[in-house]
Amino acid sequence: MNNFSSEQSRMLKDISIIDFTLVELNEYLDTHPYDKQAMEYFNHYARIKNQMAKDFSARYFPLTADMSTDTREWNWVLSPMPWESSFGEGGCK
Amino acid sequence: MQDYNFDEHFERYPIAMAYVPWQHLSQIYENLEEAFHIGTIFPELDKPFTGRRVVS
Amino acid sequence: MWNYEKRLQFPVNIKEPNAKLAQVIISQYGGPDGEMGASMRYLSQRYATPYREVAGLLTDIGTEELAHLEMVAAIVHQLTRNLSMEEIEKSGFAPYYTDHTIGIWPQAAGGIPFNACEFQSKGDVITDLFEDMAAEQKARTTYDNILRLIKEPDVCEPIKFLRQREVVHFQRFGEANREDCRIQVIVYLLSHICIIKAFRQRFDYGPNHRIHLLQGANPYRQNAGIRHTPDAAPIRCRAGAEKGRSCRKAVADFPAPFLKTLSERAFYAI
Repeated sequence: MNNFSSEQSRMLKDISIIDFTLVELNEYLDTHPYDKQAMEYFNHYARIKNQMAKDFSARYFPLTADMSTDTREWNWVLSPMPWESSFGEGGCK
Repeated sequence: MQDYNFDEHFERYPIAMAYVPWQHLSQIYENLEEAFHIGTIFPELDKPFTGRRVVS
Repeated sequence: MWNYEKRLQFPVNIKEPNAKLAQVIISQYGGPDGEMGASMRYLSQRYATPYREVAGLLTDIGTEELAHLEMVAAIVHQLTRNLSMEEIEKSGFAPYYTDHTIGIWPQAAGGIPFNACEFQSKGDVITDLFEDMAAEQKARTTYDNILRLIKEPDVCEPIKFLRQREVVHFQRFGEANREDCRIQVIVYLLSHICIIKAFRQRFDYGPNHRIHLLQGANPYRQNAGIRHTPDAAPIRCRAGAEKGRSCRKAVADFPAPFLKTLSERAFYAI
């Protein structure tokens, strides 16, 4: 049962939004490698995303395997898979 | 926004080649959540499906 | 190498299973213009490009297409869960179900399995980039067709997102294909050698980028006799040496006389 609290959902959504911004800026910079303004934007959002991902992983489940700080159970594998319906949505499905 | 005045030297471009105009970083959507749902953070690349053909 | 982040790039939450839609959407998984073809195409093409900007772009977009592949699989998975046998038969899903139950298997809507014939990696950077631009348009058209067929908002939201990504990728590949994507690099390097400050202003690659100065730039570099000679020793230019990059001799690509002189000076000066 995927039981995401509303705070958890909100945090995951925010991480997705910031990461998407990074992907867009990343691809823009690949063809405009000397665009300083874009690089400033990128660095700014990258810092935010890394912090948010670490916070999420500490509080809920690791977003990447290397963010795991588990000592009792290996949540990387026990937490819901992204393709399960209602992944990321608050409440039970 | 992209200036749509075609470059006056466009006719002198070499033939047998294809060119896509450069995008210049002019604006980013302020509301990133809205941009996320649209699928791009750049307003000038936002070309939604209208049921027939793309809106410019 | 690749890392995995345990979330979808864009959320997929489909409440109503519908096997008929699943058959349409599976085409974007393993079909000829689907995400598997796209990611394999870009990730395969990157080895043969002589330009890091292009290789980097192919890597990044190829990786994003893997994320899209995952999204399409999630859509199909959620559309085919909890189906009754009647629904499976009525929707025409029975043939796929026979072979794969409700597993995800890369095939086109018509049943052709995914295979490498669905993409090309020609080993020629210009050709490959045109192939990629065409692939993005084909994918965009497929999503247009899906949006014409499907009206359920749960399904349309991620599909609209994926369609918009194709439009953006087309723009990126188009930019990478521009001869002056590399010219920008060379011009930047030249301007850093401080040959002429005015030259730098003239070649500002902001909104006043003057493409006509590069008239005659020939992307068919086989005519220039320079491209794809991995044995040819790259010529170190001063700025390139500082940045630890070598600049391939691209002088013959820019017949504009003053540029040739300047770039020759830049490239041959050690």
